[in-house]
Amino acid sequence: MKFLCTDCDTAMKFKDVTRPEQGSVTALFECPDCFTEIAMFLNPSETQMLKSLDLKLGGNNEAAQPMQMVRSQLETGKSEAMPNEFSPGMSTGETAEGGKCPFTSAISDAFQEEPEPAEPSGPVWTVEALERLERIPAFVRPMAKMGIESFAKDNGHDEITAEVMDAARGNFPAQF
Amino acid sequence: MKTYKELPSDAGSNIIGQVEAQANRVQKRLASVKHTVAIMSGKGGVGKSSLTANLATALTLQGNTVGVVDADINGPTLAKMMGVRNATLEYTPAGVKPAITALGTKLISMDLLLAEDDAPVIWNAHTQKDAFTWRSAMEVGALREFIGDTEWGTLDYLLLDLPPGTDRLPNVAELIPDLGGVVVVTIPSEVSQFIVKKSVTMARDVLKVPIIGVVENMAFYVCQHCGEKEPLFSSDETLDTAFQQDLLGSVPFDPKLARSSDDGTLYLHEYPDAPASKVLMAVAEKVQAFFQSL
Ligand SMILES: Nc1ncnc2c1ncn2[C@@H]1O[C@H](COP(=O)(O)OP(=O)(O)OP(=O)(O)O)[C@@H](O)[C@H]1O
Ligand SMILES: [Mg+2]
Repeated sequence: MKFLCTDCDTAMKFKDVTRPEQGSVTALFECPDCFTEIAMFLNPSETQMLKSLDLKLGGNNEAAQPMQMVRSQLETGKSEAMPNEFSPGMSTGETAEGGKCPFTSAISDAFQEEPEPAEPSGPVWTVEALERLERIPAFVRPMAKMGIESFAKDNGHDEITAEVMDAARGNFPAQF
Repeated sequence: MKTYKELPSDAGSNIIGQVEAQANRVQKRLASVKHTVAIMSGKGGVGKSSLTANLATALTLQGNTVGVVDADINGPTLAKMMGVRNATLEYTPAGVKPAITALGTKLISMDLLLAEDDAPVIWNAHTQKDAFTWRSAMEVGALREFIGDTEWGTLDYLLLDLPPGTDRLPNVAELIPDLGGVVVVTIPSEVSQFIVKKSVTMARDVLKVPIIGVVENMAFYVCQHCGEKEPLFSSDETLDTAFQQDLLGSVPFDPKLARSSDDGTLYLHEYPDAPASKVLMAVAEKVQAFFQSL
């Protein structure tokens, strides 16, 4: 991928990339002569394809870590295979000691989703529905939760009850 | 206005450089591996994994240092078959230390990374919808890391147990451009041979990968009462002449072999005198002879 500033006839340079929001990343390019910036939006499929190929926008200057793609991308992996640096809470690349971990920043800077806002704006779960959610195998729970929430949103439910879960159930392979 | 070719690089991402670096990682690791062998079959369930486990053990017993890559990312069985399901992988900056069997064979498998027994491989993604568009890229990436990021040390043989299908070998051949050869597994049934021929064509004619030979698995059954050989499949289903030329051995069906795989005990070590063990050891010798004759 190359970009040309048509005013200056100069090749644009990569400037920055955001972390994915709704699965989509934005890369900024700048003309070194007139400093015009353009933004390139990758749709979720394009973002996912780059992630699957373990390629980083803007280049990769970090030393490769052993099995970094599998360990950072396997959702159903063992926790010891996903060392602290991978835990979602530290997705900004800060280690517990506050230092910058090269490993995490290498993989997460480009592809870790922006953390959820503190005040979730989605539908509210009833206690009964939450209990049912707990019965779903741990490894598919996050996916199921997201799916039910988006089903509730799409169908205008502010509250997720057992009934809403029943209604959502037809949409998922997982039993709950 | 300048054209594509006149612009210097790809605006700073150096995608080609990143892809080259990935390939170099694999090449560097494989520099200390003498021979790479893929075990394949167009057909599922014919015994590729059982053969890989036993061939690896046989080569180890014959004095070689052996590593195994379970290349079946979605259906990994080798950790169980080789008795190392409980092994914990150790991650170091130099690489991932593989699991090691009772006899010293090294193994890397997706099974060793999955959190729970019933956990399937699920990749992190904004949505799993349309996962078919990127899933195989993830799988090839996983395989590349298994081969390139495992601390194999010096190996005489690195075996790769492929998932069923004719389409898998091209991925491996791309990751390992100088793949030593393939061992093709079939069972006597016509249906199996029909499909397996396609994988032979793919390997030999399309990818130009040497065929080390064919193993006929579940070839017959030795009656436990009279010791007679009985066909397991229809008696008029003989091995195709094309396969006979390359035959490395005909492995009998032995319930103890299936049991050893289930229990993770090493069949060749437990039953060295069983007819199937003798064939498996002979197959391993032929594989060695193949490389010695080069
Ligand atoms: N010679 C044999 N005698 C008895 N059982 C066998 C023999 N070979 C394989 N089996 C059994 O047959 C079953 C299938 O074997 P295996 O898993 O090795 O096949 P596969 O080709 O790797 O399958 P897949 O295509 O799913 O990867 C297993 O339960 C295994 O123990
Ligand atoms: Mg198998």
